[in-house]
Amino acid sequence: MAPRQGNVFKLAWPLKTIIQRSAFLALVSLAVGLLFLGKANIAAVDRLRMATTDFLAPVLTTISEPVSAFHRAVARVQSLTRLIEENERLREENARLLKWQAAGRALEQENENFRQLLNALSDPLVLPITARVIGDSGGPFVRTLLLNAGQRDGVRVGQAVVAPLGLIGRIAEVGDRSARVLLITDINSRIPVVLEKSRQKGILVGDNSTLPLLEFLPTTSTVAPGDRLVTSGDGGMLPAGRPIGFVSSVGERDIRVQGYADWNRLEYVSILRYDLPGMSGPEDNPGDLGESRLGESRLDAQ
Amino acid sequence: MNPTLAYQFNRFLRGSVPFALACLMALLGVVPTGISGFGIITPSLLTIAVFYWSIHRPYLMGAPLCFLLGVLSDFLTGAPLGLTSLLLLVVHGVTLSQRRIFIGKSFILSWFGYALIALLAALVGWLLSSLYSLAVLPFLPVMLQYALSLLVFPLFAFGFGILQNNLLRLT
Repeated sequence: MAPRQGNVFKLAWPLKTIIQRSAFLALVSLAVGLLFLGKANIAAVDRLRMATTDFLAPVLTTISEPVSAFHRAVARVQSLTRLIEENERLREENARLLKWQAAGRALEQENENFRQLLNALSDPLVLPITARVIGDSGGPFVRTLLLNAGQRDGVRVGQAVVAPLGLIGRIAEVGDRSARVLLITDINSRIPVVLEKSRQKGILVGDNSTLPLLEFLPTTSTVAPGDRLVTSGDGGMLPAGRPIGFVSSVGERDIRVQGYADWNRLEYVSILRYDLPGMSGPEDNPGDLGESRLGESRLDAQ
Repeated sequence: MNPTLAYQFNRFLRGSVPFALACLMALLGVVPTGISGFGIITPSLLTIAVFYWSIHRPYLMGAPLCFLLGVLSDFLTGAPLGLTSLLLLVVHGVTLSQRRIFIGKSFILSWFGYALIALLAALVGWLLSSLYSLAVLPFLPVMLQYALSLLVFPLFAFGFGILQNNLLRLT
């Protein structure tokens, strides 16, 4: 293999193979051991994992920058080719949305008036933190994203993460300057949801496919494809009424849900700092701006 | 005759190229590409790298390095820690034991070899992660990743070949 090696090395050759073989077996058992350790949820393993991602987050941010710039350039060229149709379509859509806006404002005001009449408690303020997606698991075994915001920005485990079109997941792990999002499609994801129209509650269960399952609905409930789903806010961890997706198919045994989010084009997402008074301590979920670095910069700007 | 320090350093740097490149591939594997359809499943570039170097320069891609690559990848993707390490070690071990068949043979044969070994790795990975999460995971994404890896294999094998013939001729 290597041409210039001494006699000692030749003698040591069989010894080296034996060592290599046993090292291989040792490494295989170490990997299996790590799998068991991970299953046992050892805090040290989690810390090490987040420390590594924290360390690599700037590198990932740097790499993902030109990639997304390239992607934007491609998208721009694509949109140039159908500028006129696009303009036409947007004009129509704008007219339609203006009508919806008027309707929405009227309803919001009406709702507010009713709330005041009934003396109902309004939901606490939700403050978003916007972060860039710097990593996408891409493998067949997990569905997670890496974000370039962490503990110092006010991100905490359990907070909801939304894309422009709807909820995409929750924060599962948080480091100092990076955080991992468990997407609603991951096998470990469970999100309390409610059917928008019938107000029946269920749990959205991920199974690593692109279409998560809707489970634990009341047996008497009627579901049809196209029914919209929003977060129910049960458990006090997620704000209520955030759009998630719609029922895509109703089978004999399972109900599949199509999320609103465009999984291919998640560039920026918002982390919702939601704090039900009395439900969580400030270290779990800092509800006010004062706690985070983002808040400081925002206050400085004022 | 001892080679000079500069020569040894040069040799070390050249020799570390496969591992460094594989680390970069692990990083690139998680960068969101935004290509439609590609964002959800990406090809498993690490198995390609480990397979190729296990055949052509096994002493530059030893078992400990495969293990490290796996740990790095697991940290980045959020997969169960140890899973990718185990898969890469399986690829490395099986490839190394069958090295004589591939070495100096046509490209098609090594592509075929990769198809078999990557299939084995995909099946083991699916089985292990299903056991890990105590549920039957959907099989389609695993096969999709396998098919994608198989498709991009010639591209990477070609690139590695150029690297091997130029940068690594002396090592």
